[in-house]
Amino acid sequence: MMLGQEHAQELGEHAAGVAEKFNAGETIIHHVSNSPISEPLIHLPKLAGIDFSVTKHVLMLWLVAAFVLVVVITTVRRYLKQDKPIPTGFMNPLEALVEFIRDSIALPNVGKKWVNTWTPLLLTLFVFIFCANAVGLVPIFDVLGLVDHFVLHTGDHSFIKQLLHGGTTATANYNVTAALAMITFSAIIVAGSRAHGVVQHWINLVPHGLAWPIYILLIPIELMGMLVRPFALTMRLAANMTGGHIAILAILSFVFLFAKMFGHAVGVGVGVAASVPLATAISALEIIVVLVQAYVFTLLSAVFIGMAIHVHH
Amino acid sequence: MDNPLVQPDPGLFIWTIVTFLVLLTLLAKFAWKPLLEALETRQQGIRQALDDAQAAKQELQRLEQEAAQMMRKARAEAEVLITQSRADADRLREEIRQKAKADAEGIMRNAERQIQLETGRALQQIRSEAVDLSVMIASKIIQRNITKEDNERLIADALKQVEGTRAN
Repeated sequence: MMLGQEHAQELGEHAAGVAEKFNAGETIIHHVSNSPISEPLIHLPKLAGIDFSVTKHVLMLWLVAAFVLVVVITTVRRYLKQDKPIPTGFMNPLEALVEFIRDSIALPNVGKKWVNTWTPLLLTLFVFIFCANAVGLVPIFDVLGLVDHFVLHTGDHSFIKQLLHGGTTATANYNVTAALAMITFSAIIVAGSRAHGVVQHWINLVPHGLAWPIYILLIPIELMGMLVRPFALTMRLAANMTGGHIAILAILSFVFLFAKMFGHAVGVGVGVAASVPLATAISALEIIVVLVQAYVFTLLSAVFIGMAIHVHH
Repeated sequence: MDNPLVQPDPGLFIWTIVTFLVLLTLLAKFAWKPLLEALETRQQGIRQALDDAQAAKQELQRLEQEAAQMMRKARAEAEVLITQSRADADRLREEIRQKAKADAEGIMRNAERQIQLETGRALQQIRSEAVDLSVMIASKIIQRNITKEDNERLIADALKQVEGTRAN
């Protein structure tokens, strides 16, 4: 979505597909949501009533995970194989990231004793969320769509055509962010249980030594708080990732709305004068948002894990 | 609600958890843990190296001080040594001079004595030679051999005379 033109092209294809009836809302939602589970990329049997078929967002998760695995592990292996521990090339930013997350996110929250236990989780959360966010800014499928349209000319139901359905940003899907929040939620319980024992962790949820009527009020509040945290993580990430993309697509759809209302020339004029510059600016802003949201998710996970370890009310 | 933005998808939910856990396990095992260990080891290595450098610097400083002190001490010792040897040399020279002087005096005295001795002996010889000569001359003059008794009387007279002249 970095390049407005590709989107304009793709929107154009869809606009052509629905002929005169261009529906901005439907087109936008189609471009940010997952591909429909009824038409999955890979059909898998249902298990316990759950459809495990591979949709676009599952594929994106796998691509991102594979990318992260290959890049991180090769970089780290190459670094560790050296005689002298001198970081070179991509190891430099990776080391800066590792030390930043260890020293500025993990250490102040979970403390010295647990820093090595929780840093790997926080690092994985950050890298995975960041890459999953960032891949949405790269128009890989838009380019693929163009190549297909002008060069390959595959059929209407080809695998490539199916790949084009749905948004690229898996972290814009709240099913994905809920799962990531679930990881944090479990990590909080594991951290508390490992630091204080399973029973003590649950007792720690409320401050002790208060008059009993207060507990009637406090226990439900704390339980709600426990659930609200992952819920907030889920919604914050998904909404932020969806919001930017919707804004870009809405601005780009001006081109087609104006073209429909005032003719082709006006539409192109609006595109050149307003839509593409604005969409480019928002894409630039999205680069920051992508980084900040990955950071916020990681930082809040560290804070919540730290709160389970260092209980103070 | 058929809006795909808010469509619950438990399959995707579970796939996300599975994908993330696989990623976490592999990264933690093959990247994060060895890397964190390596970073810590390197950090300790750097700290150790800095400590070592500081210790070496302190040691160097100490050695330099020690060397300077040794130098000072050596210089002082050398000075003492030089003064002492100069005094020794002076004393020795004086001694040698004294001894040489004494030796020279001894040699002179010996020589004088020798000369006196030799002179006495020479005089003695001359004297006996002179006696023999005078006897021979006298006997030639008187043309006869004087007796032994005469001879001895004459010698004694002569000697007496000689003694007499010497005593004078």
